[in-house]
Amino acid sequence: MKQRLTIPRIVPWLFLAPALLLLGTFALFPLLRGAWWSLTNADLLRTDAAVWTGAANYSELLSDPRFRRAFFNTACFALMVVPVQATLAFFLALWVNRPERYWRWLRTAFFLPIIVSMPVLAVLWTMLYQPLRGGQTGLINALIGSIGLPAQEWLQQPHLALPAIAFMSVWQGVGFQMMIFLAGLQSLSRAQLEAARIDGAGAFQRLRHVILPAMRPSIIFVMTATLILSFRLFAQPYLMTRGGPEDATLSIIQFIYETTFLGRELGRASAGAMLFLLLVAGLALLQRAFAREVRS
Amino acid sequence: MRAMAAAFNRAHDEEGLAVHLTFFPDFQYTEKVSIASAAHDLPDVLALDGPTVAQFVDADLLQPIARYFTDEELADFAPTIRAQGTVDGTLYALGAFDSAMVLYYDRDLLAQAGVTPPPDFNGWTWDEFLAACARLKAASIDPVAMHMDDAGDEWYTYAFSPLIWSAGGRLIGDDGRVEGVLNAPGNVTVLRRWAEVFARDYAARAPIDPNPFGNGHTALDWTGHWMARSHLAVKGERLGAMPLPRMGDRPVAACGSWCWGLTRDARSPDLAALWLRWVTDPVRGIEPIIGANGAVPARRSAYALFPDYHAPPFGLFRHLQETAGHPRPRTPFYPTLTRHFAAALRDTAHGADPQECLNRAAHQIQNRVNRHHGSP
Amino acid sequence: MKRIAGWLVAVVVALGFLLPLLWMLHASFRPESAIFTGGLKSLFDFRGLHLEHYVAAWRRAAMGIGLLNSLLQVAGILGLGLLFNSMAAFALARFDFPGRAGLFALVIVLIILPVEVLVVPLLLTVRDLGLVGGHGRTLAALVLPFAVKAFNIYFLRQHFLALPRDLEEAAIMDGAGPFRIYWSVGLPAIRPALATVLVLDMLTHWSDFIWPLVICTREETRTVQIALSNLFTQPPIQWGDILACAVMTTLPVLVVFRLAQRHIVASQLTAGIK
Repeated sequence: MKQRLTIPRIVPWLFLAPALLLLGTFALFPLLRGAWWSLTNADLLRTDAAVWTGAANYSELLSDPRFRRAFFNTACFALMVVPVQATLAFFLALWVNRPERYWRWLRTAFFLPIIVSMPVLAVLWTMLYQPLRGGQTGLINALIGSIGLPAQEWLQQPHLALPAIAFMSVWQGVGFQMMIFLAGLQSLSRAQLEAARIDGAGAFQRLRHVILPAMRPSIIFVMTATLILSFRLFAQPYLMTRGGPEDATLSIIQFIYETTFLGRELGRASAGAMLFLLLVAGLALLQRAFAREVRS
Repeated sequence: MRAMAAAFNRAHDEEGLAVHLTFFPDFQYTEKVSIASAAHDLPDVLALDGPTVAQFVDADLLQPIARYFTDEELADFAPTIRAQGTVDGTLYALGAFDSAMVLYYDRDLLAQAGVTPPPDFNGWTWDEFLAACARLKAASIDPVAMHMDDAGDEWYTYAFSPLIWSAGGRLIGDDGRVEGVLNAPGNVTVLRRWAEVFARDYAARAPIDPNPFGNGHTALDWTGHWMARSHLAVKGERLGAMPLPRMGDRPVAACGSWCWGLTRDARSPDLAALWLRWVTDPVRGIEPIIGANGAVPARRSAYALFPDYHAPPFGLFRHLQETAGHPRPRTPFYPTLTRHFAAALRDTAHGADPQECLNRAAHQIQNRVNRHHGSP
Repeated sequence: MKRIAGWLVAVVVALGFLLPLLWMLHASFRPESAIFTGGLKSLFDFRGLHLEHYVAAWRRAAMGIGLLNSLLQVAGILGLGLLFNSMAAFALARFDFPGRAGLFALVIVLIILPVEVLVVPLLLTVRDLGLVGGHGRTLAALVLPFAVKAFNIYFLRQHFLALPRDLEEAAIMDGAGPFRIYWSVGLPAIRPALATVLVLDMLTHWSDFIWPLVICTREETRTVQIALSNLFTQPPIQWGDILACAVMTTLPVLVVFRLAQRHIVASQLTAGIK
């Protein structure tokens, strides 16, 4: 390749210096420290007294029922959120993909919960999910009551709490996925759609043979991005349920957080964080593999 | 607090000494203070919740303070206050006040349901308590507020451990044994009977109203000294208070509260100790605090300043603290303990099996203890 | 006729979707005792609305200082991030130098590193750098670790790559140095991409939770999200105050988003896909 611009050798490094310095100090270095601590019995309040324990933290974690529970919960949450959110977002995108001006307003409406921060929404939905108590209740129970269904203790029952949090999370994130699908739809040529229509194919046929194949990159991106985001679940259960009832909403991140700041077990928590990182990295590799397959 | 600091600074103006208060965000206090300690963002003098003292001593963050007080002064402090600040025989923290838990009642609402409160300073047995709730419920009065909406763990451990102690149970053994102690059959029974209050809907397990007693909805209120002044203002003569219901032979009261410790890295411990002496001084420290929060003075000599500490509710606070005060366990693993025990209580209240909940909690806490001692 | 029906359906769906937020706004003005009573009908009950919750929340949650902290945090991250990320991206896209491929691979790998993994070691690292405590330090601790973001470097690099070669050749003719080219040719040419990054980062960092939760060790250094969480979890619970606090936490970002909305070009979002 030809030299693009004759410049002193130092110049690229000057451009890169601030970014490299900050990434090194605040990402790579802490990451390495975390990796080191994960192999020791480090105590949060006395990090200097850490002693090498090899893989002990990892093997203990993998056999700890509570850590497994946290993994199970988080995976369940992801399995509830990802398909529902992606499907909903897809059909919303098909629906609002129209040129008239007022559809823009509708798109903004679906996008609004993204703008409102997660802690605000966690607090708000805790109130919406309030159980029925002496004539007082939250909006959700009032709604389902108006169609004749009995009030529930959404966040207090082990089998309802995680689905309730998943529902709220789908509502929060669906607008963002919808925008990504919209962008995908807009790259679809009008001719593609028209051709399908002239051939006399029905709406379903058009969806299946024209739109879906063309949208595969967007769909894969949305699914995997949502999957990784779901595994990072923390603020909702931390604020809404404290991981309860009966550990039914305990997430991996909250497990790590409590192990650090309540148990003071820095080593063990670091091992949890490393396992989590492996998981996320695995999902990211999966995404790349899928994306490559689509392109070829 | 700020006023007290201002007074301290005025008095020490000439020496050029001043105290600067830093307030931690106080939700999930236990986490916050261990974050602050991990971050080395601790002041010279630190306010701690009683049961967390042991973890700070374990982490070598506090220094002994007995040398800043004379023996007479130390003897003036209530035994519960000294006990909560003592780890392995060494005193690390002292506070200005102790806490008290009682069952407040509204005389008029009890009378409406035909319930007679026990004579002063006497409490109900658990069965008497349930019977009273049943009569209230029959009279269409919500019986009792248990404040199950509290987001922190400490409320649950603090408010309901006395039931376990009154039945002769413990949360953790002296040797650090938890399995077989916390989930002992006696404790399981206590939790099972406790949960009846929620199963029969005598108390809300997911309340919306934070102060149903003050707002006139419940006849009883299971809470602490901090509500005394507000309840008195609302109820006046109608307000009564009795010890918490007991499951064993004798009443046991929760106690323990905020206290002050001197951090290991304090720049000048001798000067920092001046503040310690100031806040625990009957006139300069205890009177303003008690005047504001209605707690139990930490020092005997301070009672002279409070003429209303002879009659209920304040007289009862004092009586309980002197006769029935039981500090929460002193162990470096207290944050883990209270986290899992509180979860067991919350889950039991919502209908989970107490045996399973306590087993799970005991297993988690025991593992934590074992990992510390390096045993398998 | 059909169009009007379609439009009506759209309005109903949108209102239903936004019901939680509308409820939040409405309830934040209602008397405390009325917030959870009255069922669905209460949505249309506009009696006795008042501002007291806002006054109380402002004082109890120290919203003034909280909003200021959050504002400075986001401004710091956006400002420094814009400069540092685009500089790095420009170097990776427009300069040839040994080690470039390796660095770019590193950037790609760092994209997936979630903040949750870093929180604890980062807290201890930031402590060792002396960035814990008062206002200035906490602000630095909030901003510096998140100003540079691997994804943004990657994203901006793609846009710099797409610029035609003659753009900088003309500038070289004029005798411009590399920094001049970056600043007055490169940056203006990718303005839409920069706007996208700014808006997305603003949304992300305004709602930052877990990092402020650990790094804001003092009352006066809390960001607004932490102030809200504190009000929410600390007895006595006052629902109206919490709602008012939630609304005040949302308003600033809503206003900024409204102003910046036209810069969010949906197609920009998808650049990350390929």
